[in-house]
Amino acid sequence: MPSKLRFAVGAGLIVLAIGYLITTAVRNTSEYYLTVNEVGARQAHLTGQMLRVAGRVKAGTISWDPATLTLGFAMVSPPNPDGSPLKPVTAADPAEFRVVARGEPKPDMFAAGRDVIVEGRLASDGTIEARQVLTSCPSKYIPKKAK
Amino acid sequence: MPLIGQLALALALLVAVYSIGANLLGMRRNSPDLLLSARHALWAMCAMVTVAVAALWTGLLTSDFSLEYVASYSSVTLPIQYKIAALWGGQQGSLLFWTWLLSIFTSIAIFQNRRRNPEITPWALIVLAGVAIFFLGMLNFVTRPFDLLATVPPDGSDLNPLLQNYWMAIHPPSLYTGYVSAAVPFAFACGALITRKLDDGWIRTTRRWAIFSWFFLTLGNMFGARWAYEVLGWGGYWAWDPVENAAFMPWLVMTAYLHSVMIQERKDMLKVWNLALIGMAFMLTLFGTFLTRSGVISSVHSFTQSGLGPYFLTFLIVVVVGYTALLFSRVNDLKSPAEFESYLSREAAFLFNNLMLVGIAFAVFWGTIFPVISEAARGVKITVGPPFFNKVNGPLALGLVFLMGVGPLIAWRRTSPQTLMRTFLAPVTMGVGAGVVVFAMGLRQWYVLTALSLAAFALGTVAVEFRRGVSARRHLVHETPARALVNLVAKNNRRYGGYIIHLGVVFAFVGIVASSFFRTEVKRSVRTGQSFTIGAYEVTYLGLKGVETAHLEDLSARLVVRSGGREIATMEPAKLFYKRPQQPATRVAIRSTPLADLYVVLAGVDDKSGLATFEVFLTPLVFWLWAGGLMMAMGTVVVMWPNVRERAALAAALGRDEALDAEPVPGGD
Repeated sequence: MPSKLRFAVGAGLIVLAIGYLITTAVRNTSEYYLTVNEVGARQAHLTGQMLRVAGRVKAGTISWDPATLTLGFAMVSPPNPDGSPLKPVTAADPAEFRVVARGEPKPDMFAAGRDVIVEGRLASDGTIEARQVLTSCPSKYIPKKAK
Repeated sequence: MPLIGQLALALALLVAVYSIGANLLGMRRNSPDLLLSARHALWAMCAMVTVAVAALWTGLLTSDFSLEYVASYSSVTLPIQYKIAALWGGQQGSLLFWTWLLSIFTSIAIFQNRRRNPEITPWALIVLAGVAIFFLGMLNFVTRPFDLLATVPPDGSDLNPLLQNYWMAIHPPSLYTGYVSAAVPFAFACGALITRKLDDGWIRTTRRWAIFSWFFLTLGNMFGARWAYEVLGWGGYWAWDPVENAAFMPWLVMTAYLHSVMIQERKDMLKVWNLALIGMAFMLTLFGTFLTRSGVISSVHSFTQSGLGPYFLTFLIVVVVGYTALLFSRVNDLKSPAEFESYLSREAAFLFNNLMLVGIAFAVFWGTIFPVISEAARGVKITVGPPFFNKVNGPLALGLVFLMGVGPLIAWRRTSPQTLMRTFLAPVTMGVGAGVVVFAMGLRQWYVLTALSLAAFALGTVAVEFRRGVSARRHLVHETPARALVNLVAKNNRRYGGYIIHLGVVFAFVGIVASSFFRTEVKRSVRTGQSFTIGAYEVTYLGLKGVETAHLEDLSARLVVRSGGREIATMEPAKLFYKRPQQPATRVAIRSTPLADLYVVLAGVDDKSGLATFEVFLTPLVFWLWAGGLMMAMGTVVVMWPNVRERAALAAALGRDEALDAEPVPGGD
């Protein structure tokens, strides 16, 4: 029996260590994953934090400077959240955020009207300083079914 | 053709259901005819699914756009190899492909067990047929590959350009093969539990299947990483994306399983643990399919958002609950007389290696489903990204490499401290030596120093093992060193194949550590004739060249790379503009050497200013990740190679009891 106990202690220590690694890593690395409207509803609370924000690129707001690799655009909530994972939020005004990404090339699929996920910090002036701009794949054209 | 395919799928479902009934009735009535009929029914199922696959492939190759699937995932101009690959490019096709593999593997398992395991096999076949029925049910009623379109479009909307790549043609089949073949050991484990034949007969019967599954999971993960590296154009190969994680978790658990079954074969211990591991491995393969097909978690891979989620979740829950209940009901039959004796034993090393592997799998699982959990618990979606996975798995990987260095050298049962000193002198010296050298070279990150020391230690262990074996053969049978090495591996393929795999893991580990810590990156917009530097390289942009085909437009940039004033390479990264799903893609230019990869992406071309934007990465030692993967695959082939001794061991295990002592000892330790 004592040998069984000794092994239980050893195994228990390893399990504890793994648990500790996971909890501290979650605390130090987690980011909010929000929609544009959700950020708008809690802007004061979120200022200065790392966020992942899902939204749509507003037409006519894109600026791109290839010499300095600076991409700027406004991000809004998709008008029709049907079928998308985005939830409508009770905020009165539809939120809009200016996004600036510096030092990164423009993603292949980036264009007005595309759905994007922006990873970055919300500055106090309401701009999102993006570290990364990810474009989602455009939804596929679904042909009508024969019945 | 579509009608034939649809019909074949319906028949396949029917015979699968019949086989379960025939097996159950055959066992109750003790009727060999009925049991045989059940097996023939499953062969018929395999034939029917094969017909359906052939029908879909015919549709793809003849561009039959009346089929919704063909219209969605192919086009007239799609190159033929991708028309073939389009079979697994979309949801219906990939489920069909999955079912096809399952039916083939079931048929092979039937053939292997035509005279073996008469009690377990019928139950194993019931489980396999049950899994097949789930997938066939989906293919018949929920997501049908042979649905027709009301109006036939002149052309299809084409395969996703990101999938039009060599690696993407072979990555999914490898991964699926790995996923699906895990079902066979799982089914035999269920059979062993149900019939209470809980010795290691089921493990030995399906050992080769487990290794086969592991082999393809390894390849699948490697090919996927290689695809990400070549196609996605971000300079990395692994992003801890949910779908990558879904492929990685079964690999981890299967690795743990392959190690811990050795303890059961040797010492008749850890029976419950082994059954739990194979159960987990199979459930994780289902979970992986569920993740990719449900859209529950956002991922770059889930192009196919669909209503399959609830079905998969239900099936998964049935499997988890059913298997857990079964395992619990048999706990009393699984008591083992033996127990662990000492921390300084191979059993202990294996036990801790298992805890680490399952720990990593759990951490990956937790990080993957964290957004769902946090949303359910706190109402906010919180994600954890690559930093989370690296922080948790980094230290655990160190632990694993350490144990990899310890395990092979330490004796079963117990080792005396004196023996320990003697055995480990060489590997420890190598490890410490490597640490000192790297420190003298100026590296100060503690993680890198530890990682490289441990890698050298593990390498030292493998070297010691080979040296010991070779010198023993030279003295006992007087062979030349080369001959001794070949015979050593050939005669103990399981053991030395395993060491070759360990070598591959160490190489891959070093590649991963070096590429994660020392990658440098330059992003620059330049005009024709201008240069920039990265590391010791000077890169000059010479201009653009455009080529247009019916399928795509290919805009490539020409770059000359100089090092020390000498021209060493011309590179041509390109932007591709696909015509059907009007979508751009990237073709990366890579100059790979064992020391470092130079990786160039043409990120964009600005028509107004004439500036071309390049993203250039210099990644040291990443070559060794791929070399390590190749080595792991080669080692696995060595392990799987047919072996007379093992066949004898299997026969002995199945005829057990009186034959127990006749089991030969592999490796001669």
